[in-house]
Amino acid sequence: MTAPVVKQLSPAQVRRYADASGDHNPIHVDEEFARGTPFGGTIAHGMLVLASISELMAATCGEAWLTGGRLRVRFRAPCRTSDAITASAQPQTDRDGMRVYAVEVRNQEGELLISGTAEAPAGG
Amino acid sequence: MAAPARALLSDLPKGHEFPPATLTLTPEAVLRYLDAVEDGNAIYLERGLAPPLCAAASALGALLELLELPAGTLHTGQEVDVRGGVQIGAQLTLTGRIAQRSERAGMVICALEFALTPAGSRAPALAGRTTVLAPAGVAT
Repeated sequence: MTAPVVKQLSPAQVRRYADASGDHNPIHVDEEFARGTPFGGTIAHGMLVLASISELMAATCGEAWLTGGRLRVRFRAPCRTSDAITASAQPQTDRDGMRVYAVEVRNQEGELLISGTAEAPAGG
Repeated sequence: MAAPARALLSDLPKGHEFPPATLTLTPEAVLRYLDAVEDGNAIYLERGLAPPLCAAASALGALLELLELPAGTLHTGQEVDVRGGVQIGAQLTLTGRIAQRSERAGMVICALEFALTPAGSRAPALAGRTTVLAPAGVAT
């Protein structure tokens, strides 16, 4: 098992991500707007939360992830802008020259936010 | 002259292709991204390779400039395939299309496929597929 990546998100970080990505959807950055939605408050960008898995894979597989990585995930639940998230990867059986990992992100309550698979060329 | 109205994602048919766009992941943009996601790994700048999700997010950001997302749109799935890697600073051509569209119970499931191809190449350096669930017939 690879070492998990743990992050404490914050509304300020979500705003930085909005600026970096150009995605200023009010559900992510406008607390007043978000309070009136079914989420009841702002939520982090899915791609920001997913970045924790990519960070983990880059740390685990190095350049092989940057040149030949594959990621397939589903977003299972929204992530609050102040959640603490933990990204983890469990090695599976290698397939077609690729090292395969079951990946997931959970919040501080253990709720599953993202699940799926990540692959990187074996021996990379 | 007023800017042309952006297309509502849920109104676009399967097979719709977006006009190709050019984008470059500058070192500054990559640093902004790494700061935002709080990824301190030095490998990206040492190897001159963009984080795959930085490239994917930039592609999606460029496509979102052409699109309106209906209020209540949810990002439900994401796929990214790195095919050689995205060089920091390289000029890239972004292509995108609506690969899937289905409607059920007032909701549209839409899959948007995109690719980033380095200038002078025919082979994408990175491709992705983004799935969203959007209310049908709802404006932003």
